[in-house]
Amino acid sequence: MSADDELFESMRLELRRGSLVLAVLACLRTERYGYTLRQALAADGLEMEESTLYPLLRRLESQGLLLSEWREEEKRKKRFYVLSPLGVSLLNRLTGEWRAINGSLDRLL
Amino acid sequence: MTTKSEAIIDRYLEAVAAQLSPETRDDITAELRELILSRLDAREEELGRAPTEAEVEAVLKEIGHPLVVAARYRPGPDSLIGPELFPWWLYGVKAGALVLLAIHAISLFITLISGPRDAGQAIGQAFHSFFGSGLTLIGALTLAGAIMEHYRIRPRWMTEWRAKDLSAFGLSDPMTWGATAGEAVKTRGPALRPVRVSGPSPAGESVFALVGLGLFVGWWLGLLNFPGLQALTLGGETATITPAPIWGVLFAPILFYALAQMGEELFKLTNPGAPRIRALMRIGIAVAGLWLTWTIFQAGHWFTLSADDETGRVVGDWALLNIDRMRTLGDGPRDVAGIALTLSVVFTWVAAIGAVSMVYSIFANAWRAVRP
Repeated sequence: MSADDELFESMRLELRRGSLVLAVLACLRTERYGYTLRQALAADGLEMEESTLYPLLRRLESQGLLLSEWREEEKRKKRFYVLSPLGVSLLNRLTGEWRAINGSLDRLL
Repeated sequence: MTTKSEAIIDRYLEAVAAQLSPETRDDITAELRELILSRLDAREEELGRAPTEAEVEAVLKEIGHPLVVAARYRPGPDSLIGPELFPWWLYGVKAGALVLLAIHAISLFITLISGPRDAGQAIGQAFHSFFGSGLTLIGALTLAGAIMEHYRIRPRWMTEWRAKDLSAFGLSDPMTWGATAGEAVKTRGPALRPVRVSGPSPAGESVFALVGLGLFVGWWLGLLNFPGLQALTLGGETATITPAPIWGVLFAPILFYALAQMGEELFKLTNPGAPRIRALMRIGIAVAGLWLTWTIFQAGHWFTLSADDETGRVVGDWALLNIDRMRTLGDGPRDVAGIALTLSVVFTWVAAIGAVSMVYSIFANAWRAVRP
């Protein structure tokens, strides 16, 4: 990988980092467990490593934005996550902020 | 899935679990196990058969090394010293390295004036000692930084600073040393005007002084070692330096004196707006320093130099406070007695200059304490 490509990759990751939290919160309007959440994000073009996604889910849960529950499905116990009421309200505010940033950037670009 | 594949997964999860706190261990590994099994189910569907051991290993490798995976779950900081503390750590390292350099330069100077034929060996020893104590300094600062990072300690002097107090931070760049003492600093950009610096910054000076005093206290307590201060090389032979009994008698007072100075510097950093209290503290420290200097001077005998059967006494004497003595400094014989005399003159002058500066400090701080 050339120096230009490396620089682009590092800036691309930096650009994505902040938006991943928003994507995870948006995806968890519907209850999902870790594996299906990752698949849903990937299907919409947002690949995310498990080693990033799972700790992020725990952090969001400890911040009160997600609720979780262990439940059996397909003969295996899985941990399901969904937005808490606080998560719903924060997602709405963050969505407004995201649209404002997006609008500004659209005008600039 | 084969028993061997299950054993591989168990070993992986055990390695992750060992890095986690007992409270979260079971929950996190249960979730990770579920993730691994889901990934393997998908792989099995794709292949139309159960994954081999190598394919199980490949899935685990994609998930990440156990140390990296466990670290992502850790609630504390990801680094020993984070980006917020790093500039302070770097400044401490630079300032401490400069203090160490000064100590070793003085030590090397004493060694060289006492035996020029062994200059190469003395320089080598000084370098060795400088790098050894430098590594100790970096280790100590890293430990302090890691504790501050872990417990989110942010002293007031880090957050409540004033632009006019910043000039001494230029001291960590040797190119600006002359400038920080009061000269104009030429900034790097050609379009920028030179910046006028009014004098050393109180915060920067205090950090610098704390590092220096900390090194002294470490050495005084025997925790740090500067080899050049324990022995000299005289004409190829090692001359040992034996402290006089007065240093043993004054061990605790000197330690408390250094700790009191550290306390005053810390107070200055944490309470920049209390000049009167600081002035009173400085008066107390200067009075204690004068008493120590007087007691050491009165003791007369400071060190004994010994090489083979020759000995020389390093002493303090009023008669040595003589300009002619200073002019002929180093002209004497290069034997033990000659070196002891040279050191006696140097130390007597250092003590006298120190005493004068303490008297000045008492008067200057008395004025600061009473002025409206």
